[in-house]
Amino acid sequence: MSPYWNAYLYVVLFTLFGLLLPFAALWIIGPILRPNKPAKGKLTTYESGLEPFGDAHVRYHARYYLFALLFVVFDVETLFLYPWAASFHQLGLFALAEMLLFIVMLAIGLIYAWRKKVLEWT
Amino acid sequence: MLGLAWTPPMIAFLVISLLILVCAIMAISFRKVIYMALAIGGVFLGCAAVYILLGAEFVGAAQILIYAGAITILIMFAIMLTNHEAEEPPAAWSVRNIAAAVGCVLLGVTLYAVIRSQSWPHGAAGADVNQGQSNPVAVGLALFQHYTVPFELVSLLLIVALVGAVILAQERKEDE
Repeated sequence: MSPYWNAYLYVVLFTLFGLLLPFAALWIIGPILRPNKPAKGKLTTYESGLEPFGDAHVRYHARYYLFALLFVVFDVETLFLYPWAASFHQLGLFALAEMLLFIVMLAIGLIYAWRKKVLEWT
Repeated sequence: MLGLAWTPPMIAFLVISLLILVCAIMAISFRKVIYMALAIGGVFLGCAAVYILLGAEFVGAAQILIYAGAITILIMFAIMLTNHEAEEPPAAWSVRNIAAAVGCVLLGVTLYAVIRSQSWPHGAAGADVNQGQSNPVAVGLALFQHYTVPFELVSLLLIVALVGAVILAQERKEDE
């Protein structure tokens, strides 16, 4: 148990390091190293070379929600496949039928979305 | 001190629960919904740490992947669909607040009584949630041998959510 817990200390260390890094880069080490000659053009928000307009917090189109939800659905499916595969040798054919039913159900959902032509980006 | 065994898991648990509580309080006290959603993500991450602490590594990883990753993003998208620029005004102290406070205290007392009345497994044998297997195998065995119907109902739930999103996307498409 003990070496196992020590392994999670590394996770804590990496988390702290990950939190520290942007602060150090932006507010501690960065201002020491970089030259500071601000100009109006330099201070605008970087938007891939375009002139920034409007607010970043705009209302999204409802179709983005569909893609987010599709991602969640198949994320959950993949996640259930993992314990299924890990315990398959002890489960046998019944588990195969269960998982096939599960995948077919979700595939029906995907085919439904496809047939309704909401996956097309026009 | 305080009647607690100050073992490393106990200290880790206290630190994690403090983080969860801070994130939960931030989630309900922020005035902008986007910050609330981010704070909920913090709560999910803390819960994942608790699962790992209890020996359920796979459940912890699943919590990070699904809840902290996907569900938080889904909440964000749902917020971005609405007119989310408005800030909630600070609520005045009213009868409703007092009723809510009484309700919270009652809920807390009930939960505490339920948790204390359970007999929790003690010792080396009872504390192993995985019963000698690795955690994904233990989850798989439980899921596909004992909880078959709930597992298949999950697919039904996902289908319902998907159909709802399809109809939502379609209605907006016809608006254009």
